Amino acid sequence: MDMSTTEVRPARASLFGSPALSAALPFLIIAVIAATLPLFAGGYWGVIATRACVYWVLAAGLNLVVGFAGQIAIGWVALLTVGAYTTSVLAAGNVMPAIDPFLALAIAGLVGAAFGVIVGLPALRLRTFYFAITTLGFATIVTQIVLAWASVTGGGVGVPGPVFPAPFDSQWGFYYLCLMVAAVCTWMTANIAGSRFGRALTAIRDAEVAAEASGIAKPKLLMLVFLFSGATAAIAGGLFASLQSYITPDAFTIELSVLFFIAILIGGRGSIVGPLLGTVLLTVLPEFAAPLVAWSTFLYAVLLLAIVLLMPGGIAELLDFKNRRPLESNRAIVPRPDLLARLLGQNQNADTLRLEQVALSFGGVRAIDGLDLTILPGQVHGLIGPNGSGKTTTLNVISGYYTPQGGTAKLKGVVLTQLAHHRRAHLRIARTFQTPRIVGEASVLENVMIGGTIDGRGTFVESLLALPRHWKDEKMLREIAMLALSAVGLEQLAAVRADRLQHSELRFIEIARALMLRPAFLLLDEPAAGLSAEEIRRLGALVVEISNNGTGVLLVEHHADLIFDICHHVTVLNLGKTLAAGTPAEIRSHREVVNAYLGG
Amino acid sequence: MPTLGAEPLLSVTGLSTGYGKVGVLRGVDLTIAAGEVVALLGPNGAGKTTLLRAISGLLPWTGGVQFSGRDLAGAGPRETVKAGLAHVIEGHRVFTQQSVTDNLLLAAYDVPRGERAARVEEALGYFPEIAAKRHERAVALSGGQQQMLAVAQGLVQRPRLLMLDEPSAGLSPVLVDRVFVVVSKLRETGTAVLLVEQLIEKALALADRVYALARGSIVLEAATGEADLPHRLERAYFAPTPAAG
Amino acid sequence: MVLSIVLSGLAIGSIYALIGIAYNVMYSASRVFSFTAGTLGMVGGILGSLFILRMGMPIWAGFLLALLGGAVLGVVTEIVAVRPVLKSLDQHLYVLSTLALALIVQQFAAIEWSTEPQPFPRIFPIERNAFDQQFWLPMIACAVTLVGLEILYRRTMLGHAFLAIAEDNYAARALGLPERNLRMASFAIAGTIGALAGFAGGQMLLAFFANAPMLTFYGFVPVALGGMGNNRGAVVAGIVLGLFQQAANFLVGGIFASVAVFTVFILVLLVRPEGLAGTAVGRRV
Repeated sequence: MDMSTTEVRPARASLFGSPALSAALPFLIIAVIAATLPLFAGGYWGVIATRACVYWVLAAGLNLVVGFAGQIAIGWVALLTVGAYTTSVLAAGNVMPAIDPFLALAIAGLVGAAFGVIVGLPALRLRTFYFAITTLGFATIVTQIVLAWASVTGGGVGVPGPVFPAPFDSQWGFYYLCLMVAAVCTWMTANIAGSRFGRALTAIRDAEVAAEASGIAKPKLLMLVFLFSGATAAIAGGLFASLQSYITPDAFTIELSVLFFIAILIGGRGSIVGPLLGTVLLTVLPEFAAPLVAWSTFLYAVLLLAIVLLMPGGIAELLDFKNRRPLESNRAIVPRPDLLARLLGQNQNADTLRLEQVALSFGGVRAIDGLDLTILPGQVHGLIGPNGSGKTTTLNVISGYYTPQGGTAKLKGVVLTQLAHHRRAHLRIARTFQTPRIVGEASVLENVMIGGTIDGRGTFVESLLALPRHWKDEKMLREIAMLALSAVGLEQLAAVRADRLQHSELRFIEIARALMLRPAFLLLDEPAAGLSAEEIRRLGALVVEISNNGTGVLLVEHHADLIFDICHHVTVLNLGKTLAAGTPAEIRSHREVVNAYLGG
Repeated sequence: MPTLGAEPLLSVTGLSTGYGKVGVLRGVDLTIAAGEVVALLGPNGAGKTTLLRAISGLLPWTGGVQFSGRDLAGAGPRETVKAGLAHVIEGHRVFTQQSVTDNLLLAAYDVPRGERAARVEEALGYFPEIAAKRHERAVALSGGQQQMLAVAQGLVQRPRLLMLDEPSAGLSPVLVDRVFVVVSKLRETGTAVLLVEQLIEKALALADRVYALARGSIVLEAATGEADLPHRLERAYFAPTPAAG
Repeated sequence: MVLSIVLSGLAIGSIYALIGIAYNVMYSASRVFSFTAGTLGMVGGILGSLFILRMGMPIWAGFLLALLGGAVLGVVTEIVAVRPVLKSLDQHLYVLSTLALALIVQQFAAIEWSTEPQPFPRIFPIERNAFDQQFWLPMIACAVTLVGLEILYRRTMLGHAFLAIAEDNYAARALGLPERNLRMASFAIAGTIGALAGFAGGQMLLAFFANAPMLTFYGFVPVALGGMGNNRGAVVAGIVLGLFQQAANFLVGGIFASVAVFTVFILVLLVRPEGLAGTAVGRRV
């Protein structure tokens, strides 16, 4: 193939140059105001600003849990308490000789990380409301333990907070300390947000099954985030204790916890600058009107309700000017199958995906009854049949959402049915879904990049600190994602928020995301549903070319015309069994099939 | 066969609907006369169930639906039931934890209290096998009996139009015939029926007219007496581009 | 001593059970757990004290008005915090909207009523004794509610309609049942039950705004352990919880009693997320 014809147009709103600057602009403005604050604000405002910094240190980490991973952790004040008491007790020398406040703060960070995992752990097992309640329970319990453990914590009387050495002992000195910590936290969370880990978190939040299909291991990722978020919350606690100069259990109220939580949601999910502004806003707001102080939590709650019902995108959506530009209304999806060779590479896939005698029943009803299916590399295999014949169930057996009672699914000698969901991506099995599973608030490009998560080499810590491998991963994933988007014909929409797209475009985004895996096998679940006749034709050409590059495609579809057009082999299911199998021509003339498929 | 000359009982014009962003039906036109049995056929995913859901107000739609002279724009399922339009949904979804009688009484929720018992008896009269089990919980019924109960729920409402969504699914041939016999009895009482069915031959034998739906549009409308119908249906289903309705 | 532990355990357990039933009634109608469940109990206590002690109304009038207040809050919950987010249940926005509403009511009570616990009137003018009304009132309220709901669900058309929308909301709508009105009615009933819990338990818990989060948590424990939507399970689990808590209170002290309850709660949930009486639900893609 002539390489000059495969030139990919660069993304119009590329992430280099001015757009990157405009993304950094709000942070720069906030940083300049914060750094020069002592020049134009009095001492009282210094205290408020210090408090905003401390709150943000906690909220920044919590933002990854709530805003990105979507876990409803209401009681995060528990970690603030743990950090505040650990730092104060160690620095005051209540249990052992007093140590340096900075060392105490660092130890508090470690203790907080451990507690973050303990408080967060139930999220892996429990449903949303249950998890919310358990975090609330933790917040109550920690305060009660502090009260009871008077020999160490001073009980209801409390302990003095740590005093940091010069130059951080003055009011503005301490302010700059807190500001520095806050800036570092902002930088680190922004790094994560812009990494494959941040995208994976939003995928877990909005499209969990798609995250698993992309090979994202939810438990491991959430643990890392809880560690980080616990550490920042505890460090915030140490600084909070110093700011308060004396702490008692009364200071750590549920209302405070709710403030952090609401600040993040008012800011907007999946954003850094939004929650930052939200935190500043909620800290400063009561100061403008003294009578408001008593009503502050009431007002926050009203704000939360208003945000949830009227503006789920929060402040971040208000600031998102570029996504308010109208999109071209008569745009068409024009895939470029010629790019697939470059994207998929020389796929030397010689293995077959084999289902043998798979049987599965739900409460006595046989959904699949002894099904054999062989999917060859480089071929399109169609799977059709009436409703309830077991098509999607078969797909879900391969994807691991159902464990069959009998039979096996094998690839390269690996028995698929024994693998965790997300391990299939490592075997290069990709899939799309009947209802597109997309992160609506992320850009189209970011959505596609989610598909390549497992091909990154850098670790979570490398991304946190923006080390070289992080940048290498990002560059690599972005390039492949642009290529995949060009191949499906959507590169001009790369920078657009995915929830602004039409249904048919979402279907092609899912295919682009699946292609990021350079799949050996691609499972398509009714990809033509909701597409126009012309779009179906283009989809067909794309799928044919994918198979020509060595990928085995399993196509579950209602559109008989598409199946007969592009499949090498068709299996017809009825009542969980193979009714017929053969080439499209054979199936087309099969009387029994025509009857079963059309009803008869 | 009833004539179409008179004002139709149900008249659907240019109806479009879908789920969220996904358009399923585009510009569907369909009419049913009083007392007429109409079969709605089509391959899976064509939108047959969606059309019934839209007509009965379970899904919002655009276009026009007139039912016995009344505009159904914006009407929810409760209003359409009150207007005389009963929809027996797919999958015999009866309330398994309640008795047969209670299931039928629930279908008569908006019927005046004094009339409910009579309505229940009338509906049970069509299905002696479930009448015998009237005090048992629906969970104890077989799939076929649950389907009969679901149809009976529709009959309790004494509809002018009964919409049945795949009443034969999961039923043995004998039970299918039992249900279809009830449908032909209904015709004699002047009740119109819109039947979504997989069993083409049985549906064609029962119905006066047939509509075929494929890819979200009506691709065929014919009287069941017309020649070569199965073949024409097949062609309409597999046509690579939507044919005109 | 044992007697007083048992009595107070049964009483407090009955209050938790009633809040658990309020959770269940709302859940059955909408598949939503509402953070306002404990708030309803708090409102019942404060309204009782407000109407009877502060405004000097007769006890029966204060009682009925307190229940009415709970019903109104239930309906408000449905309109403001549940109905607008029902279309996107999978996004779990209801957790946030009901939390916001619970906080709004709770903070309003703290500011406009009092941040300190206020006395609650004695209902019957009889001498205090070992088996005092503060213990048996919640138990009777719990028993009456449980029996009342059973009669409602088994014997009445309205109850059958509630069961229908709980079992299969879509089929119920297709049948023409007034699903929205039934949901509102369910929330009104839940509100009444919650307020009844607060009123009957008023002499134990007093009229205190902070009862809201406390009851939201301890009222959810019976739901989680007894299986959601299962009222009898909630009553059994609630009473066990009450007895366990009061015994631990007496044996190891209040703070460690809370820690013990919480630890058991977390451990049970981690081992059996569907509750002790519930059944696992498969995942659908």
